Amino acid sequence: MVRIVLKGLKETKEFGEKLGGLLEGGDLLSLTGDLGAGKTTLTKSIGVGLGVSDYITSPTFTLINEYKGRVWLYHFDVYRLEDEEDLLDLGYEDYFYSNGVTIVEWGDKIEEILPANRININIEKGKELDERIITLSGQGDRYDKIVKELNIN
Amino acid sequence: MRVLGVDTSTMMATCAVLDGEKLLGEYSLNQDMSHSESLVPMIKEMLDSLNLQVSDIDLYGVSLGPGSFTGLRIGIATVKSFAHVFNKPIIGVSTLEGLAFNLAHGGTIVPMIDARRNRVYTGIYKWEKGRLINILKPSIKEMEELLELLNKDYDNIMVNGNGALLHKEKIEDSLKGKVRLSPISLNSCRAASIAELALLNRHGENQYNYYNLVPEYLRESQAQRELRKRES
Repeated sequence: MVRIVLKGLKETKEFGEKLGGLLEGGDLLSLTGDLGAGKTTLTKSIGVGLGVSDYITSPTFTLINEYKGRVWLYHFDVYRLEDEEDLLDLGYEDYFYSNGVTIVEWGDKIEEILPANRININIEKGKELDERIITLSGQGDRYDKIVKELNIN
Repeated sequence: MRVLGVDTSTMMATCAVLDGEKLLGEYSLNQDMSHSESLVPMIKEMLDSLNLQVSDIDLYGVSLGPGSFTGLRIGIATVKSFAHVFNKPIIGVSTLEGLAFNLAHGGTIVPMIDARRNRVYTGIYKWEKGRLINILKPSIKEMEELLELLNKDYDNIMVNGNGALLHKEKIEDSLKGKVRLSPISLNSCRAASIAELALLNRHGENQYNYYNLVPEYLRESQAQRELRKRES
């Protein structure tokens, strides 16, 4: 588990862009954190790092948004879903196991069907204004590699 | 009778036309999940090359699943729209039966489609008196569970499908001399098989029209999912 303190919007943006630059097709990110913690904002920066030029908006109502970048970005928000059945009706497996990058906001709500090899990112507000505390955890070669390449410390 | 067969239940997009028992053409592309963009142009290219039009097709055959959620919907929606325009019947074919039908193998035939998380959609089939018989109903199985079952009760097994390719080493390690992987040409879904099964079953129970045809995703039941949650 890796803990990162980001002081202000600029650092959060830089972190997201750097992370986005490291992602490859097939990676899955599960984002957790309270309402307003900045999950969608972080996704926007990750999108920039992935080369997405479209404006990324919250998929809370659409459930899935797709963006073309260096690789496809599939942006889920599963906050509104009742249970796994709803996700089955979206054909989620074709996304989670695709050649694109998948980002799932509120991923903890559907933990049992997320692939084991994934990157979990938790965002919390820090003490200072616009400070964010990011906690990375995960499993698999890609997680290990990304943590290494992020070169935190 | 001209039959158009379509299968988009896996990464393989495949379409074929039969004229009675003669295969006129088959077109298969195994690429990214881009069926929605490639399927109709593929069918058009094939029909154009054969100097045929959609109106020349008398019967449709399409894979109902199991397989990719999006893929199945694309194949089925495409065939439904064609069948709708000229009001022609559609025969739904199990993707697994289609795969098994590729193999003229005297022993046990076990098609496998990747269902992710170390699971496959599978069934067990055998040829008997010139007919393909289903022994184990299409179901979703953990690889270990399937291999144990095959090891215990079956011999002279031939496997195919993307699940068999994905788990090739595990299958060979477990079943050793009892198993053979199908030749590459017969390993994937083939629309010619789907079309032939449609032709053979055209008076059977899987007759549909553009209105009532639905995919068979073969999902785990709610009870199975609950059990898995408890076990994990």
